Amino acid sequence: MFGYVRPLKPELLVREYSQYKAVYCQLCRVLGQEYGPLARFALSYDCAFYAMAALSVSGAKPQEDRARCVMNPFKACTYLPAPGDSYQKASALCVLLTYHKLRDNLLDQGFFRSLGSRLLLVFARPMAKKAEKRFPWLAAAAQKAMEAQRQAELELAGPDQCAQPTAQLLEQVFGQLAGCNEKLRPAFESFGYFLGRWVYLMDAADDLAQDLAEGSFNPFIARLGLEGTKKLEGEQRRQAEESCNAALNATAARLVLAMNLIPLGDFRPIIENVVTKGLPEVQREILFLHVKNKTRRELKKE
Amino acid sequence: MTDPYKVLGVSSSATDEEVKDAYRKLAKKYHPDQYAESPLKELADEKMKEINEAYDTITAQRKSGSSYYGGAQNSVNYHSNSGFSDVRSLIMSGRIADAEQLLNGVPADRRNAEWYFLKGSVLYRRGWLEEAKDHFSRACQLDPGNGEYSAALNQAMSQRGGMYGGYNPNRAMGGECNTCDMCSGLLMADCCCECLGGDLIRCC
Repeated sequence: MFGYVRPLKPELLVREYSQYKAVYCQLCRVLGQEYGPLARFALSYDCAFYAMAALSVSGAKPQEDRARCVMNPFKACTYLPAPGDSYQKASALCVLLTYHKLRDNLLDQGFFRSLGSRLLLVFARPMAKKAEKRFPWLAAAAQKAMEAQRQAELELAGPDQCAQPTAQLLEQVFGQLAGCNEKLRPAFESFGYFLGRWVYLMDAADDLAQDLAEGSFNPFIARLGLEGTKKLEGEQRRQAEESCNAALNATAARLVLAMNLIPLGDFRPIIENVVTKGLPEVQREILFLHVKNKTRRELKKE
Repeated sequence: MTDPYKVLGVSSSATDEEVKDAYRKLAKKYHPDQYAESPLKELADEKMKEINEAYDTITAQRKSGSSYYGGAQNSVNYHSNSGFSDVRSLIMSGRIADAEQLLNGVPADRRNAEWYFLKGSVLYRRGWLEEAKDHFSRACQLDPGNGEYSAALNQAMSQRGGMYGGYNPNRAMGGECNTCDMCSGLLMADCCCECLGGDLIRCC
C-alpha cells in the first residue's frame, strides 16, 4: 500500500492522536522483533490503520508502555502492546506488500533503474518467506493480487478491473477480521474491498501526470481519453482531476456505508476520522492542492 | 431484547426530544435507500429494524406520539412487463454472478435500456462503480422517462459528488467563513430585523 490511509490530525482528540501514534510505534517495534531491524523501513500508515482496525475489532485491551524509540535513542515513545496477533498480521502485511512492490518495480523498470529495488529485494525476500510461513493465506492472497494486477495492466483494462486485485486482497484481509461472525462478514469484506479500491485509484490518480509523461500504463488514461497527451494543463488538467475525484468519492461513499455496519470497538472515533476526514483530505491535497509539485515552504504559506 | 435506550445511544433519562434526535440521526445513517443497490442491504435493514423497534418501544413506554419511519426503496424490483424477470429475481436473491452470466449471454441487438440498467446494478453491487455509472447513463439515454433508471443514476451521481464520502471541492470544510458568507449573513439579519420592525442596514 502507499501511505494514503491516515487520520486528519487536527480533527483528532489529543488522546486519540497519542493512541494512534502508539499503535504506529508498536507496529514498528513488532516489525523489528519479527523480521529484523531493516524491516522497520516497510512500516506504513496503511498497515498501521489495519493494525488499529484489527485491534479495535478484536476487543483486545491494550496497555500503554513507555520506552526508548528504536530509531532515535534520545526520544521516548509510547507503545501500545496488545494480546492477540493483530500486530503480527499487520507486520506480515507490511513485509509482503513491500516485497511485492519491489518485485513490481523490477518488472516495470530497466536494469539500471531497478538496481536499487534489486538490492533491497535481497533483504526483503527472506522476510517475505518468513511472513509466508506464519500467515500462508496472507502470502497467497498477496501473490494472487500481484499476478492479477499484472494481468489487468497487460490487458490495458479500465479502472474497475485494475482496482479489483488490490480491492480483493483487502477484502480478504478485512473479511478475516470478522472471525466466526458469519453474519457480519459481508460488511467487513465490503469495507476492505472499497478501502483497497480507494487506495488503488488514489495511487493511479496520483501517478497520472508522471505516467503520461513517461508513456507508462495508467487505468485513467484510456478512461479519460488522454491517449497521446504528454502533459496535462489548464482546463484539461482540471477536468481530469475532477473525474478522478468523482471516482474516489463514489468509492468512499460505499466505504462509509460498510463502516457504519461494523462494530468497531474502542478505536471507532479514530477509524471514523480516517475514513470520513483523512481520506478526503488526501484527495484534496493530491488532486486540488497538488502538494507533490510544491516545496515545503510554499505549502507552509497556504 | 436489548435495552432500547442502548440501541439509540441515549440514557434512559433523555428527554423525548433527545430520543427523537438520536433516532433521526441513526435512521439517516442506516437509511435503506443508501444501501439499496448494495449487498449489505440485509444488514442495514436489520439494523434499521432494530432502531425502529427500540424507538417504538420507548415511545410506547412513554406514551407519546410516534413518527414511524417508512422510506421508499429504489432497488431492483419485480416488474410485470420486464423482459429480464429471470435476471431481476437473481439480483434480488443476491446471485450476482449468475445474473451477470445471463446478461452477458444477451446478444448485442437485444440490449435495451433495461439491459443496461440491470448490468449497471450488477456492476454496482460488485463495486465496479465507474462502469456501473456508464451503464446507468446509457439506460437513461435510451429511456429518459424511466424513474427506476434515473433513480439509480441519481444515486451513483450523488455519491460521486462527495456528499457521502470523499472530498467535495465546492463545500467549505470545517465551518470556514468567507466574505461572501458574511455579507449574505448580514443581509439576512437585516431582513429579519425589518420583519420585526427594526433595521440593521439603513440603505437596503
